[in-house]
Amino acid sequence: MAKAPIRKPKKKVCLFCQEKISYVDYKDTGLLRKFISDRHKIRARRVTGNCTQHQRDVATAIKNAREMALLPYTSIAR
Amino acid sequence: MRNYEMMIILDPELEERTVQPSLDQFLNVIKTSGGSVDKVDVWGRRRLAYAIDKKFDGIYAVVDLTSEPDAVRELDRQLNLNEAILRTKILRPGRH
Repeated sequence: MAKAPIRKPKKKVCLFCQEKISYVDYKDTGLLRKFISDRHKIRARRVTGNCTQHQRDVATAIKNAREMALLPYTSIAR
Repeated sequence: MRNYEMMIILDPELEERTVQPSLDQFLNVIKTSGGSVDKVDVWGRRRLAYAIDKKFDGIYAVVDLTSEPDAVRELDRQLNLNEAILRTKILRPGRH
């Protein structure tokens, strides 16, 4: 029986390291929207491919944006 | 002296052109204590991601300022006492 070929996952590079962005701005909702799912949950590092530091920065930026009602906590319509 | 960035959400029922003067009035606290207001950016009316005090819109304003920590704390206290202000946030940019 043929085994399913083991697929090597493509190594993702952290977007912020690549673009050399040092400060993740919580006001930039367009950028932050890339890092939340359609249920408005913060995407895991596994998905985003961010490095440890930048994933953390993104998470705090999203949380700050949520406090200021720039991004939703949850979707209202179910 | 430290650099601060302050975001303020104001009541949507306010007239948008009265926002700037009323902000200046609040920011007097900074000026009298020796700090300086570097930039005032009024975004205008914007839809909130969720309702705050049953309001779905808000007038956003972002203020960059340099000041002593105590003056900023006093400014935040005064803003929170005001009914026309829905929410405030003070950050020191470049530092989390």
